[in-house]
Amino acid sequence: MTTETENKHREASTRETLEGFVPELAGEEELRAALEQAFDYRGDVTLTLKGGEVLVGYLYDRRTGATLSTSLVRVLLKEGGRRNISYSEIAALAFTGRDTAAGKSWEAWVKKFEEKKAAGEKNIGLLPDEQE
Amino acid sequence: MGVPVSQMWAVSSYVLKNRLQGRKHYPLVVMLEVLFRCNLACAGCGKVQYPAHVLKSQLTPEECFRAVEEAGAPIVNIPGGEPLLHPQIGEIVEGLIARGKYVYLCTNALLLKEKMHLFKPSKYFTFTIHLDGERDHHDFAVCREGTYDIAVDAMKEAIAKGFRVTTNSTLFDGADPVGVRRFFDTMMEMGVEGMMVSPGYSYDKAPDQSHFLGKERTRELFRQILSNRKKSWRFNATPLFFEYLMGERDYDCTPWGIPTYTIFGWQKPCYLLQDGYADTFKELIEETAWDEYGEKSGNPRCANCMVHCGFEPSAVNHTFGSLDGIVATVKGMLSTYPDAEALEMLKAPRTATGGDPLVQIAAKSATPAETVEATR
Repeated sequence: MTTETENKHREASTRETLEGFVPELAGEEELRAALEQAFDYRGDVTLTLKGGEVLVGYLYDRRTGATLSTSLVRVLLKEGGRRNISYSEIAALAFTGRDTAAGKSWEAWVKKFEEKKAAGEKNIGLLPDEQE
Repeated sequence: MGVPVSQMWAVSSYVLKNRLQGRKHYPLVVMLEVLFRCNLACAGCGKVQYPAHVLKSQLTPEECFRAVEEAGAPIVNIPGGEPLLHPQIGEIVEGLIARGKYVYLCTNALLLKEKMHLFKPSKYFTFTIHLDGERDHHDFAVCREGTYDIAVDAMKEAIAKGFRVTTNSTLFDGADPVGVRRFFDTMMEMGVEGMMVSPGYSYDKAPDQSHFLGKERTRELFRQILSNRKKSWRFNATPLFFEYLMGERDYDCTPWGIPTYTIFGWQKPCYLLQDGYADTFKELIEETAWDEYGEKSGNPRCANCMVHCGFEPSAVNHTFGSLDGIVATVKGMLSTYPDAEALEMLKAPRTATGGDPLVQIAAKSATPAETVEATR
């Protein structure tokens, strides 16, 4: 991995969340690194294909081969259905969906619990995210 | 009611058959994750953080049957998410039983009373209730007050109706061994068939990253909990797995032993890690780089894992793999694991070492020394 790629990787990894991040895909290394991050991301991403098609969905798998054309990502589309997309078809990637794993720390739960307990509330609890 | 002889026979004969055939990678249990959505938002869970359209997706009954038939394991575990949220869960369970599978439906039981009519009592079917300990501890661990009472109420009804009911408890740093032992008493008095306890796994997507146990702390905790057992306690686990948790023996992980099927496919390599998905069980077995997982591989994500889904299969392999394993298992079934030092450890004051101990949030007034006597 080049120093430039390492720096971009570091920039992304030091963000509290990748939500809103649009990585530069200047070369093969950057593309591979960005798609690895997208695989690890618990929100939807937007992929713009070289043919102009725009796909939004959850990237749940990637299979890496020796070349970009033999590597692919597998996406559960937001509008329904699945698509396998070759790395070589991808022109742009954006972390557009909400990061569902971010911002819900244990400490936040303890704080909420203690505040509500002090206020005399009953049946204190966290609720699952609204299913939009 | 105990584990039916027919189930013990089904598992034993299945394991022996696979061993005689020289099959290395065979599953004992299939984890059928029918959906990811849940009606709780536990801080220690890394299973439910997905976009809404993923949470709305679910396996069809046909997908479930195909996966289970392909894997061939005699036992199917249905975790989640919360499987009772699946609109066809009754049909799925019925279809699996029709295929001769022993089905354990893992639920937080919040919807159990409402959905119980979907199921029929059967030796092939068990409700496994997620309870992490006594009322205050459980409610705090699952991040919602009132859940313990709802679950226990539903469990009592299920037991009264003749269902097999077991419990599954995940223990994190801060768990009070004295309280866990009291919890065992309560479950046994209630008529629960057997109990499973396992340390939590540090999912990298779980909101709570500070309460997962390291291996040494896990061994210390489980030694205190599982030594000096009451004869009335019944567990839904092999004795050798518990001996592993107590630090009495060492195993490496068998990640293919309890594989997981989800809406994405067969999860590589195990229930806890997500390194990709295979479309078929054959592909999972043949194309996963198994030597990259387990403590001996040096994979840092496996370094502190002692979870049931990887190590119970190792213990079962030991049981059926040698005379020594069979003898040790029989000995374990008959032993109460007397350990004077562990008893002394139970009396020691609890100290916080991994952040706020869960048990101190709603601490009871009794000291460990006062309460330990009641759990002997």
